[in-house]
Amino acid sequence: MISNLVKAGLTRRTFLQSSAVTAISAGLPGAAFAADKTIKIGFLAPLTGAVAAWGKPGLDGCQIWAERVNAAGGIKLGDDSYTVELVSYDNEYDPAKARTGATKLIREDGVSFIMMLGGDTWPGVQPVADRTGMLFSTLLPSDLSPDTATLFAPTEVHPIYLVTGVEWLAENRPELKTAVMCAQDDALGLPSVATYLAAFEAAGIEMLDEPLLFDPATTDFAPVVTRLLSKNPDIVCLDTCYSDYVHPIAEQLFQQGFTGQIISATADFYDQMIAKTSKEFMEGFIFQFPDFDDPALNGDNINFEDPNGFYATYNERHPGQWGAVSWEYASIMDLWKAAAEKAGSAAPDAVAAAMKEGGTGNHAFGDAKWWGTELFGIDNALVGDWPVVVIQDGKAVIKGFRSIPDWYDKHGDLLVKHMQAYDQMWDQRS
Amino acid sequence: MPKYIVWMVLLVALLLLPHGLSFSQQEILVFLTINVLVVASYRLLTLTGEWSLGHVVIMGVGAYASALFSKKLGIYVPVTMLLGGITAALVAVILSFPLFRMKGFYFLIGSFAASEIIRLLWKRFRDPFGGAKGIKGIDPMPDFSIGIYDFDFFEPVSYYYFSGFIVAICLWILWRIEKSPVGLTFHAVHWQDKLAEASGVNLRAYRTLAFAIASGFAGIAGALLAHYIGTINPNSFDVEVMVFVLTWAIVGGTATFYGPILGCIVLTVLNEIVLRELGFEQMRPLIYGAVMILSILFLPNGLESLVQKFSQRRADGLAPNKASKGAAE
Repeated sequence: MISNLVKAGLTRRTFLQSSAVTAISAGLPGAAFAADKTIKIGFLAPLTGAVAAWGKPGLDGCQIWAERVNAAGGIKLGDDSYTVELVSYDNEYDPAKARTGATKLIREDGVSFIMMLGGDTWPGVQPVADRTGMLFSTLLPSDLSPDTATLFAPTEVHPIYLVTGVEWLAENRPELKTAVMCAQDDALGLPSVATYLAAFEAAGIEMLDEPLLFDPATTDFAPVVTRLLSKNPDIVCLDTCYSDYVHPIAEQLFQQGFTGQIISATADFYDQMIAKTSKEFMEGFIFQFPDFDDPALNGDNINFEDPNGFYATYNERHPGQWGAVSWEYASIMDLWKAAAEKAGSAAPDAVAAAMKEGGTGNHAFGDAKWWGTELFGIDNALVGDWPVVVIQDGKAVIKGFRSIPDWYDKHGDLLVKHMQAYDQMWDQRS
Repeated sequence: MPKYIVWMVLLVALLLLPHGLSFSQQEILVFLTINVLVVASYRLLTLTGEWSLGHVVIMGVGAYASALFSKKLGIYVPVTMLLGGITAALVAVILSFPLFRMKGFYFLIGSFAASEIIRLLWKRFRDPFGGAKGIKGIDPMPDFSIGIYDFDFFEPVSYYYFSGFIVAICLWILWRIEKSPVGLTFHAVHWQDKLAEASGVNLRAYRTLAFAIASGFAGIAGALLAHYIGTINPNSFDVEVMVFVLTWAIVGGTATFYGPILGCIVLTVLNEIVLRELGFEQMRPLIYGAVMILSILFLPNGLESLVQKFSQRRADGLAPNKASKGAAE
């Protein structure tokens, strides 16, 4: 049949067979030259555009991680060591380009694992993942569903960790009783809104208004902030706004004279925010992503290797660019490396099995468990402790680590209630 | 050389093209094929002198309609693609009532406002549009075999052949429309509107017709896209994407049928293949913008003017030969 000659189709079976052959042949002593002993890892995230702040710093962090691992002898699979090579593709946060990128990384570059930001881009990639069985990671567990068996959320359990910030706030500033919230109306903003609503309700903090959802194309935040402040709240919550929104909103809050509490998922490049407002204004700003020079990260509970050294190298190479994701993809690579070494193979199936073995894993902020059936329909999210970070005297400081599972055990019903109200449960997504 | 030989060579080249490309380039080829229809349909609208900022959203109307017809009503996918185009054309007719009370710059802004309303409706009504996350798990085009070739529509080559066939038919129809009396009237509406009106041409009706036809074909392009990537969301059809369509049209030129198509092909290859391969992945927006500015400065009539210059020179070169041949005879 001509069709058989012409068509060189890809199935999960043929892909996994070729992966297994590659992995086995790579593992045979003396079968490969040292120069051939390379494992390629794919990085498929936005490197340009509005969401680049959650892709590019992560790639920079991964480069540092790869250099450190390679300098320490690489990844050991069986008796052999392999150097790590990162291959990136800018998906511009577009599902069609993400599909193209996934195809390139898998079928042309021969990567063993692909890291993604997720969100809008994952549905474009999912058919490729289904067909190839490739192992993917996402920073957004809201991508998870029972249909995404090869997708893992091993670092950031966005947005569930947000409850820890609100819990800490309620305990340490009990006089603050009212809040308002704004968020961009997209796949990232809505599950965060539901989570913050649950956290505020659990903490006994009253929402003065419905969350204000603005269009992601918004550039003028003066009306948004004016409406938020018209309710005279104690707390303004910035949800999981992109840094392109957090900065102008903070500026507007400053210009319109707000002196209350601000809480946000991120405060990327907060030094620039301080420069645009004032140190006094930013004092007490709560968010969830620490600088890795924080002494609290030197504790025995931390699984990220040499966080202070990593932060120093990062800042040396990319001054002023440290952000929420700078360490996250590197942390995913830590988990992947440990699992691959345990499995003795880089084959996606073997690494996935090793990663979930025993139901627990070494999360950057401590030992954690694979979790998520109730919220995501699958236990592919690694959940444990998460830090609460506060800006003090112009510097981000970890105020403590809080357990996400402990909060969920007490208030999980509230989270499910609000997630359902925003159609964010896995079985509600269209 | 006889024209049909040129077309045959082109057809064979297009059939062989994906087999000379890498997998990711095959993927880009699929999106390029779909975008060719978007930009060619956009040109039909510009024939009447109106430039819209809502064409991509109208494309999205076709994508959403086709996705919903297949997902919610279980209609066979190729039929839903056609229905997507029809829905987009109908939406355009409805929009034409307020929009064609305006002209020129006001129409441009009005079309942007109307398209934003449509995008906000997609976001606001999670049922059936899926809200900000959009619709995912859209039924793919069902695989089939024609004996000598098995179409597996996960594979970009199969989808390229399928979408290429659809786009070729659409381009032929667009071409025939432009060359028909209706198409000539579109030109008259643009360049001689007072004269046309005095001759009994209903300007508004022809503008509406051009808008509806262009939207119908954009809707088919949207449907082709939706059933390939399996997911759509309001951001897939935002003004940023519209800027790309405008750029293709401006850089390519809109005086000829092939101008915008040329712009689309050259800029897509530059942006998605050349700059990525050269390692300028993160500098692409900067370089792309520079190309746009330079082309406006040095090629104000678009890339099509280069083709016209080349063919004019060729014709001039052939003319003396012909003349001398004639003299000898």
